[in-house]
Amino acid sequence: MTTPTRLRPTFRPAESLVSVFFCGPAVVLYLGFVVLPAVMGFAYSLRNWTGWSLDAEFVGLANFAELLRDERLAQAIRFTVFETVLIVLAFALGAMVLAVLLDRARRMRALLQGLFFYPYVLSVLVSALLFQYLANYREGLVNVLLRAAGLESWAQDWMGDPALVGYFIFALVAWTGLGFFTTLYMANLQAIPVEYYEAAQLDGAGPVSVFRNVQFPMLRPALTVNSVLATITGLNLFSHIMVTTQGGPGYRTMTIGYYVYWQGVLNNRQGYSAALSLVVFVAVALVAIVQVALLRRRTVDL
Amino acid sequence: MRGLGANRGQRSAPAGRTDDTEGTPSPRVRGAKSGAPPAPLSLGRGAGGGGAGGSVATLVSGRKRRARTSGGKRRWATLPLEVALLVLGAIFVAPCVLALLNTFKTLHEIIESPLAPPKYLNLDNLEYLFASVKLLAPMRNSVLMCVAVIGSLITLAPMAAYSIVRRRMATGRFLELAFLAGLTVPFQIIIVPLLQEFRLLGIQFTYFSLWLHYVSWGLPLCIFIYSRFLSTIPKELEEAAAIDGCGPIATFWRIVFPLLKPCTATVIIFWGLWIWNDFVQAYVFMGSMRGQLAFVQLWRFLSDQYVKNWNYIFAGVVVLSAPVTILYLVMQRSFVKGLTAGAYR
Repeated sequence: MTTPTRLRPTFRPAESLVSVFFCGPAVVLYLGFVVLPAVMGFAYSLRNWTGWSLDAEFVGLANFAELLRDERLAQAIRFTVFETVLIVLAFALGAMVLAVLLDRARRMRALLQGLFFYPYVLSVLVSALLFQYLANYREGLVNVLLRAAGLESWAQDWMGDPALVGYFIFALVAWTGLGFFTTLYMANLQAIPVEYYEAAQLDGAGPVSVFRNVQFPMLRPALTVNSVLATITGLNLFSHIMVTTQGGPGYRTMTIGYYVYWQGVLNNRQGYSAALSLVVFVAVALVAIVQVALLRRRTVDL
Repeated sequence: MRGLGANRGQRSAPAGRTDDTEGTPSPRVRGAKSGAPPAPLSLGRGAGGGGAGGSVATLVSGRKRRARTSGGKRRWATLPLEVALLVLGAIFVAPCVLALLNTFKTLHEIIESPLAPPKYLNLDNLEYLFASVKLLAPMRNSVLMCVAVIGSLITLAPMAAYSIVRRRMATGRFLELAFLAGLTVPFQIIIVPLLQEFRLLGIQFTYFSLWLHYVSWGLPLCIFIYSRFLSTIPKELEEAAAIDGCGPIATFWRIVFPLLKPCTATVIIFWGLWIWNDFVQAYVFMGSMRGQLAFVQLWRFLSDQYVKNWNYIFAGVVVLSAPVTILYLVMQRSFVKGLTAGAYR
């Protein structure tokens, strides 16, 4: 910054005007269509507002108090936590195993990785439709194959059975995101110095030992990022629900994210929905911060 | 992935090595990319590589040596693993292949023998999609929307990032934080207030309102990506231009903007894919009645059907995924890079 300072030592109004030209449009759009609605949304958490009428009665913290008594919300929280646990296991650990295996492959690595990454470039609607086909009770591929193999009794209504639909949603999310998280791990794996592998080889370490003593400790940065991202993915689960079960059967697959949308947009209780999303927003941020802190502290110095 | 594999050695190279296909100006950005917590990585590398220039050669040749000395027997040692992974990967993408096959079959054939290849190239489903569902116009609209949004993002975001990073504004730091905060706003909370706002402006359920939403929603991440990139490129060029009498705006467009090309490529891929594939936001802001973007149209058509016409579902899925798939096959590396760029925010 030294040269420009020397060239233009004094304050010039024209300079500020140029700065406004540079960031003005972005700031205006951002303020008008992100900040303003967000602030409005949060402000309405203190009101009883349908979202469409102009009058919104001030109710203080009543919306927040109601959150505590909301049975449907409790159910949504349970379901969301269940999904999040599965998703974190798949994306933080499953993806790690896959990445380590892919890293060991010498041939066709681009092809292999490309295969696993591919679902990630598809639209949520596409993967949802494909999975709805696989899971369909009468005509779906899974059941057709099971019946063809003589396992008629194994055929299930994967999407309609309240006991199974959670795993259906999980399979859909996992299929979409696995390649993405694997890629993040692979980038990290390739940053491990070869010397470590060579040292391990000299010590006669097998693949399992290499994984435990070299790769796993060195993968901590990616593990941190991936588990935080996976947790956020799980806790904010929304679009996958919207394009498949829409909370059903009954309210079985209502996630917190979808419940916010359902209350605010479909049930016309925007004030209540705003209070809920404010709480969720803070909670997710806290979980992420705690997670980063915990995982970072355990970083190993080799 | 080939790209990252080739980078193994270069990754630990001391500054100055640029990999042109890689795009980002080498190690610093990569370091920043591979971690919210970059410390453990660089620490490990420093300790292992012994630092300094010599380590590059050792690393690269070490890698090669490992591969070369492993000899004939070793070279085949990983073959079972590779085959197993290939089978696994094939199963993984099998639903997509199945969709492609079933696009050319009748509903009856799909239900009776889902795995059989089509008997002949039956184009009825595709014809129905284009003739009766009229999928072509929505696809064109989606492309136009992509162009409009990306065009706005790749002009507004670098300009804002430039003013934040380079121009000595009193509000620069504040603006940076304000935009960063935008990354944490949950989508659900802005839906209804934003719809309300659009209604007051008289633009509810229009392409313009959706464009406004896409651009303003995309700006924070784009500005973040551009600022991070900008702070890694030296400012001597700009200073030279300033000395030669180039005004600030001309300096930006002629000197800085071309330097940001790799970043712009990332933004184009990321948002192009996002907007083309988007269903949820388009559905919310354009409504199901007026929504004429590709995936909204498909959704509308499918939800009007009382039975599951898998043949149309598969055909629709294939048609709308085809552009993305073709681009992905052609430039897998750029896709992977562009899509993972937003991960470490």
